Amino acid sequence: MMRRNLLSGLIALTAILALAWWPDGLDAQGKVVKIGLSLPLTGADADGADAILKGAQMAMNEINAKGGVAGYKLEAQVFDSATPAAGQYDPAQAATNYKKFVADSLTLAAVGPVMSGEGKAISPILSEADMATITPSSTNPDITDPKFQSQYRPKGKAVYFRTVTTDAYQGPNMANYLFHQQKMKSVYVLDDGGAFGVGIADSFQRRAGELGVKVLGRDRLDPKEADYKTILTKIKGLNPDALYYGGVMQAAAKLAPQAYEVMPRVVKAGSDGVYDLSWPKQSGKEAVEGWLCSQASPELVTSPKVEAWVTKFKKEMKREPTNYAITSYNAVMVIADAIERTAPKKPLTRASLRDAIQDTKLGSIQGPIAFDANGDILTKTVSIYQWRDGEIKYVAVAPEK
Amino acid sequence: MHTLDVLLQQVVNGLALGMMYALLALGFTMVYGIIELINFAHFSVFMTGTFVGLMVLNLMGVTAVSASLQGPALVGTLIALFLATMTATGVLGVLIERLCLRPVRHVSGTAPMITTIGVAFILINVMLLTWGPQAQRFPQLLPNWRWGVGGAEITFKQGVLFVVGLLLMLGLWHLVRRTTLGKAMRATAQDADAARMMGIDVDRVVVVTFFLGSALAGAGSLFFGLYYGFTGYYIGYTTGLRAFTSAVLGGIGSIPGAVLGGLLIGLTQSLGGQFLGVKWTDVIIFSILIIVMVLRPNGLLGTRTPQRA
Amino acid sequence: MDLARWRALPLARRRQIFAVVLLAVGAAFPFLTGNAGNVDAAANAFTYVLLALGLNIVVGFAGLLDLGYAAFFAIGAYGYGIAASGQLKPEWSSVWDLFAYTGQVSRLVVPGQPDTVQFHFAFWPMLAVAAIVCAVFGVLFGAPTLRLRGDYLAIVTLGFGEIVPVVARNWDGLTNGAQGLGGIRTPRLFGYDFGFSPYPYYFLGLGLVAVAVWLSIRLQESRVGRAWMAIREDELAAGAMGVNHVHYKLLAFAMGAAVGGLGGTFYVAKLTTATPDMFTFPVSVMVLVMVVLGGMGSIRGVVVAALFLAFLQSVILQELTGWVHALGRLVGSAFLQRIELITSLELIFGVILVLMMIFRREGIWPAVRRVSALSPEQQAAAPSRGAAVQLSWSQAARADAAPRTLLEIESLSKQFGGVAAADRISLTVRAGELVSVIGPNGSGKTTLFNLITGLIARDSGSIRLEGQEIGALPAHAIVARGVARTFQNIRLFNNLSVLENLLVGEHARLQAGALGAVLRPPRVRAEERAAVDRALEVLGLFGNRLLPRLDHPAYGLSYANRRRTEIARAIMTQPKLLLLDEPAAGMNPAETLELMDLVRALRGLGITIVLIEHKLDIVMDMSDRVIVLDHGVKIAEGAPVEVRNDERVIEAYLGRRRRAA
Repeated sequence: MMRRNLLSGLIALTAILALAWWPDGLDAQGKVVKIGLSLPLTGADADGADAILKGAQMAMNEINAKGGVAGYKLEAQVFDSATPAAGQYDPAQAATNYKKFVADSLTLAAVGPVMSGEGKAISPILSEADMATITPSSTNPDITDPKFQSQYRPKGKAVYFRTVTTDAYQGPNMANYLFHQQKMKSVYVLDDGGAFGVGIADSFQRRAGELGVKVLGRDRLDPKEADYKTILTKIKGLNPDALYYGGVMQAAAKLAPQAYEVMPRVVKAGSDGVYDLSWPKQSGKEAVEGWLCSQASPELVTSPKVEAWVTKFKKEMKREPTNYAITSYNAVMVIADAIERTAPKKPLTRASLRDAIQDTKLGSIQGPIAFDANGDILTKTVSIYQWRDGEIKYVAVAPEK
Repeated sequence: MHTLDVLLQQVVNGLALGMMYALLALGFTMVYGIIELINFAHFSVFMTGTFVGLMVLNLMGVTAVSASLQGPALVGTLIALFLATMTATGVLGVLIERLCLRPVRHVSGTAPMITTIGVAFILINVMLLTWGPQAQRFPQLLPNWRWGVGGAEITFKQGVLFVVGLLLMLGLWHLVRRTTLGKAMRATAQDADAARMMGIDVDRVVVVTFFLGSALAGAGSLFFGLYYGFTGYYIGYTTGLRAFTSAVLGGIGSIPGAVLGGLLIGLTQSLGGQFLGVKWTDVIIFSILIIVMVLRPNGLLGTRTPQRA
Repeated sequence: MDLARWRALPLARRRQIFAVVLLAVGAAFPFLTGNAGNVDAAANAFTYVLLALGLNIVVGFAGLLDLGYAAFFAIGAYGYGIAASGQLKPEWSSVWDLFAYTGQVSRLVVPGQPDTVQFHFAFWPMLAVAAIVCAVFGVLFGAPTLRLRGDYLAIVTLGFGEIVPVVARNWDGLTNGAQGLGGIRTPRLFGYDFGFSPYPYYFLGLGLVAVAVWLSIRLQESRVGRAWMAIREDELAAGAMGVNHVHYKLLAFAMGAAVGGLGGTFYVAKLTTATPDMFTFPVSVMVLVMVVLGGMGSIRGVVVAALFLAFLQSVILQELTGWVHALGRLVGSAFLQRIELITSLELIFGVILVLMMIFRREGIWPAVRRVSALSPEQQAAAPSRGAAVQLSWSQAARADAAPRTLLEIESLSKQFGGVAAADRISLTVRAGELVSVIGPNGSGKTTLFNLITGLIARDSGSIRLEGQEIGALPAHAIVARGVARTFQNIRLFNNLSVLENLLVGEHARLQAGALGAVLRPPRVRAEERAAVDRALEVLGLFGNRLLPRLDHPAYGLSYANRRRTEIARAIMTQPKLLLLDEPAAGMNPAETLELMDLVRALRGLGITIVLIEHKLDIVMDMSDRVIVLDHGVKIAEGAPVEVRNDERVIEAYLGRRRRAA
């Protein structure tokens, strides 16, 4: 009896130790720069993360097909940052992934993270290691805000670069749009309790207040709750001109049909959280009709310049692209460009690569890319879209004031 | 909209919501009454019922985007849907009882409840893996008629939910109070050994109870789908905990208690949301649960006390 | 070293060797693996091990199913997070001077605004603070559950587990709401900042786990641990043996919560952020699965299971997925190439829970219970009969002592529904007497015992022991006063050994508390030794029936031995008054005689005995007085011979036959 228990215990211990010793993947041959990709590939945000992954992969394939850059081939090191316990991205897992990148001497830069919650956990790690990451979709402004520099980049230099602009602009510019274009005078704001949703709802609400719009109230939707009639009835009673929802799809999928039932004629707007191609399928075309949403980037997917790119993407990656697939593609392009500028003159290290990324001046299919001292992209374009007849249609660039 | 109108509408909302919780609580309280086990899996059976309903409708060619049905076709579809789904969930409940709960029925301590948590997790994740994390649209079979009452609006769907819920409660009440089977169930609930000695096949009574309770959960699940127009792998959890609170508030083991508790919780949710904001709903409802359990474990109408064994 | 020599070493020595070996392996691991990512994953895993050990105290030791354990994880995490980040910025006042002096806070001067306080409390004292704060919350969350049954207790804990993250999400001022805390300071040790390297955290985590394991082992093998296990096995019987269930349940919650708080502080110091999403129900379930898989109450099982599941989540499933993908490419299966095993982790959890509960409730690596084999001599019963009995703590009644009243019951009544189980019963028992209580079934005999021992509350009347009113006291306090009992249908602590059962019996006479249990000063060690000696003494009263079986679990004993163990356990409480409820039930004549010898011997030791029995020959033979109850009423009292011929007694037993004639 005791021997059997001891045996099973020893087997368990051995298994753990064996797996710890297991070599992590094959070692690369030749001159290689590894780019770390820590993305929530499972869980609630999997689809968006997948598009981003494929955008980056397409860029790397393109570059490697041309023989690499400055003699280096690019290799992706992909880790999942979602855990089942979280059901979505997990900051602790992201931190572990980035520590693995830092521990791997061949990884000189990273593309990601997807979600700002992960960004907060990994930014200090990057700062410590003087390694740059370029995020195609994380929009929470705090991470690059100089006010929080001691929290997110204690060493001072920017390490969190973005090919997408931040919620410091996404939320307010939507408020600007609603105020000017839709003549919004009163609004009720909802968020979904998530880090992203609360942040962007806050920034929207602040701007609306600045514009003199009456904010009739602010409440929170529980994404796991089925019934939003209570809050919608309350909102209807207050009779706002518009309803703003900061958050992602899980709550939006239910908000749309119920809002359609309770208050069909109120103007409804959201952020890039509701720029999700599966929305009509989840909520029904009629319910989604008329909803406005935004993207923290210039309109790319339907613009003629990008058409060729979209066709290539669809063929190679066998899925529809999203705007953030493009910003992800461009992130890799930025890294490649930085390598090209550095390698001939200096030894290629994380620090020198970071410096080169900081000085980027690159033309791309999303327009010119350059970063400010904090790592934010200089062009602060926010695009407005509207759902019409089950499809998402570009409306305009959001006004900056 | 006047404040009074808003209030009235919230009351209507709350009652409809409450009826949903009551339907779920009914099945749960029945099972608890018999085997004195908090069956976490009940709420996952509820969730599974919505997906079963979806599959049944798809088999019949009805999807979220297909043309709407009228008259006899509608009634026929609904009857078929309810029968098929309720049978399926009833069978699922029986399977769970047989395979997972019976082996631990006589184990004292925490084992039985942990088993039901495990079953719940299995069901949730099977649905998640099969259907994905996104919400699935449920075909809107019931027409969207609505009537103004006072300053508020009542929809046909709410009316149907209410009426059918009450009918089910009355039916169940009749079953338990007036039929032989009901008597057997009550006897088993009070003292399983004595019931056995009186010739009652306790195992069979338990199976029947599970079947009925799970079938009720199936009915509730269809109402959920028809009412809200969607389903997802996670709906069992939140709705389930609210239904559980309803059962406890009304009095565990009491059928009218489940309905009363459900309605009260529904009203709390809507009126609380109106006055305090919906972000505190969870805290309010869990506080009610804790307070009831500590101060009045019998609930409002119950007679049995969930005291320590 | 071969197995026989290993076994010959004392347990303490074996443990020390094991500990050194494990710690050495643990310390060597980071250097052997050479991959910082694995070290980081291991450090994260240690957090889960800590949580699992904490939950093990609550669920495994005390049997309280806590489904909201993540709440304590959260409180510890946010506690440290708030104290070590810039979240709170109260206005500067002189209150903060002391803290500034010791380097815990700084004064933030922003031109144009009043000065504020910048918190940066040091990690090490915060570990202790977090543990204490969480212990307080453990008591707060545990208090409402004290009267509840197992599954209701679980739901209330689940409620608290839900409330805490919601409050964290909504209370923006304190916790920064959904955005979470950022920039939490990393620990510093003698000027060395832990920073973002995984290595210092790994060793810190290893140290914390070692401390938690040590704490658990110490608690488990102490008076406190026995009290917990008694409550887990049979709360009612535990109370009847002097265990104050309120005190010990709250203690279990407090200690479990404290360990959870340690885990939270460690985790967040390493991650430097804290968000409400990190502490939701699935986290509580994951920790529960670790405890269930390892074995509830088994410290080593829980540690291994926690490590295994943590690695499963962070490393193993992903590696396996890689192989499955490769396999898919090999066999050309698109399904295999795309599957992500990590998404089925929760499914695996559910399956683990169900399978473990059905097939192996004790866990995959339960604490081994070494049961000594019995030699043939030991298997043959050699009862001691008629021998003089001596117990170290007994005080034999002096022959010349004046008869004094020990127990006085006046007009005691209790109703259940409309039925009077006790109807104004009055009786007295004098010290040194052996009184029997007889009566037909349902006459209220056991109810009388329950009333005297405080298991049920009286409706009216008084119960005085040595002149002091005990009617309002809880059961465990009555035991401390010197009243012990056995149960009609034997309530032993089935999964505990015979010796452990007896040691629980001594609970009220020992003093070691949680602190003493953990630190084990000489006084406590002496107390434990003395307790074991006394137990062996009492076991000796039963000849060789129980002594060879003292490490056997109670569920494995024969019926008669179970009875004997229960009586022995009651004797361990060092009672003045012993209430025996049908002790001879189910015994054959020889065993009955042996038992009665024992009862006489106990009288000789000065213990007053009240006996419920149906075997009237024993009653007549042994009793000084007999009291007869019928339908809750005392219908006769007196010497055995008188009572036997009393008409009312005959009528009560045989019914009103003569009327019908």
